[in-house]
Amino acid sequence: MHTESENTGKLNKRTITSAVIILIFIPSTILFGVFFLDDRKYFIVSLMIICYAMIPFFLVFERRKPQAREMIIIAVLIAIAVAGRAAFFMVPQFKPVIAIVIITAVCFGAEAGFLTGAMAGFVSNFFFGQGPWTPWQMFCFGIIGFLAGVLSQKGFLKRSRKQLCFFGGLTTFLIYGGIVDLWTIFMVTPEPKMETAIIVYGTALWFNIIHSSATVIFLYILANPMIEKLERIKVKYGLIEKLPK
Amino acid sequence: MKSIFAAYHPAVNFTFFCAVIIGSMFFMHPVLLCISWSAAFLYSIYLNGRKALRFNIVFVLPTMIIISLINPLFNHRGMTILGYIRDNPITLESIYYGICTGLMFGAIILWFSCYNAIMTSDKIICLFGRIVPAMSLIFSMVLRFVPKFKTQIITISNAQKCIGRDVSNGSYKERIRHGIKILSIMVSWALENAIETADSMKSRGYGLKGRTSFSIFRFYARDKGLLMIMTVFITVISIGAAAGVTNIQYFPSIKIGEITGFGIFVYTAYFLLCFIPVILDVMEEIKWHYFRSGI
Repeated sequence: MHTESENTGKLNKRTITSAVIILIFIPSTILFGVFFLDDRKYFIVSLMIICYAMIPFFLVFERRKPQAREMIIIAVLIAIAVAGRAAFFMVPQFKPVIAIVIITAVCFGAEAGFLTGAMAGFVSNFFFGQGPWTPWQMFCFGIIGFLAGVLSQKGFLKRSRKQLCFFGGLTTFLIYGGIVDLWTIFMVTPEPKMETAIIVYGTALWFNIIHSSATVIFLYILANPMIEKLERIKVKYGLIEKLPK
Repeated sequence: MKSIFAAYHPAVNFTFFCAVIIGSMFFMHPVLLCISWSAAFLYSIYLNGRKALRFNIVFVLPTMIIISLINPLFNHRGMTILGYIRDNPITLESIYYGICTGLMFGAIILWFSCYNAIMTSDKIICLFGRIVPAMSLIFSMVLRFVPKFKTQIITISNAQKCIGRDVSNGSYKERIRHGIKILSIMVSWALENAIETADSMKSRGYGLKGRTSFSIFRFYARDKGLLMIMTVFITVISIGAAAGVTNIQYFPSIKIGEITGFGIFVYTAYFLLCFIPVILDVMEEIKWHYFRSGI
């Protein structure tokens, strides 16, 4: 009973934070952009909205005072993702980050998936270099994890290798490739146009294909053994009931 | 080279970088862009020496040129038409706009390269440890885990070598299998180790009330002084931006405000703000030189 009432409280807080951001912050940023920023409005407004979109996830995690065990498991998975990205530094775009984020999300839920993705993007850029692209990468890695977690909780995404590979390849290509390249478009020209978009996505096509096939390959190799290991840890140390439903 | 600016409090460093990076993103005025770009260029070379010079010449300058060229090719707004490429007009305004976008991109990348050298992870943790304690803890643990896992992989690999199962043993196929086995052992170990660490933290009272956090950084009088100076500059620049001194219109035709006394005042403030780290370092060098020759 106690946990249940706490749960509803959290849900309300999350809804309130999201509502404040969606109803007040985002429209005022857009209005500010329309009236005060002339040619840079797309670049700055999009950057700010991407940052806002991540705030509720972090706030909710902070508010509910996570257990040490949960935090360290997430930290370990982030470290594995970061080390994986660093280990393949010689092969551009051939990275296991999204595969690990999806596996985490499937085993530990949407919130853990988002945090692992976003933090893996943030921390690995300490090795690769921070820039205006950092928030975009954080958001894309995070939202893929969030989606994987939600879909697997609702039962749409089964833990079979085939489904995970399909989901991973598709989201890497569409969500990661689609959103991360937006910043290039907004950066280069004063207003987004079909022509520029075609050029940018055209040049990025090969990189996106490599990236999504890397995700598929890594998921194919890692999915079953990693899920098995994570489930074992959950059963062995009774982590299941401590995680949010 | 170690910059004196890096020794200031993280809050001062962070405020500075926020101000200059946001400034570079907002202001498309050529004078302000040139100021910001040259300050970032100088400071990045001061910080990273030859490595920065190579990075700037091999990566930043070509990217700036590419961005400057892309703009007139795909952006056909503007009144002054210079010529046609495949029936698409090339305008003077879009060439100017392209050059300014290139400068802006260069300035942002250069400032971030300085940011990477100054804002080390311990400073980030010091700043965000109070606002988002759980995320900061995760962040610092990840930074610790990456090198720890590297050492552990070597340990596991050595142990496997004793029983002939290292990546250097056997045929090509066996080597891959051994490699995967080592990674698998690594992940199991990391997860078990994580639970142990967590239990150890809990038994020492993690998450209880009234616990303090250690921070090596102290807020000295000089930090306060510099922060106040920066606040003055930022206020002057903001007033200037509100008054429209920093405005420039590119399309359909270039409209730029006349240079007034107040305008020059605002530009000077921006110049001084961007060059704060360089000025501090030069002052420090002079001081050292003076004292050394005096002995």
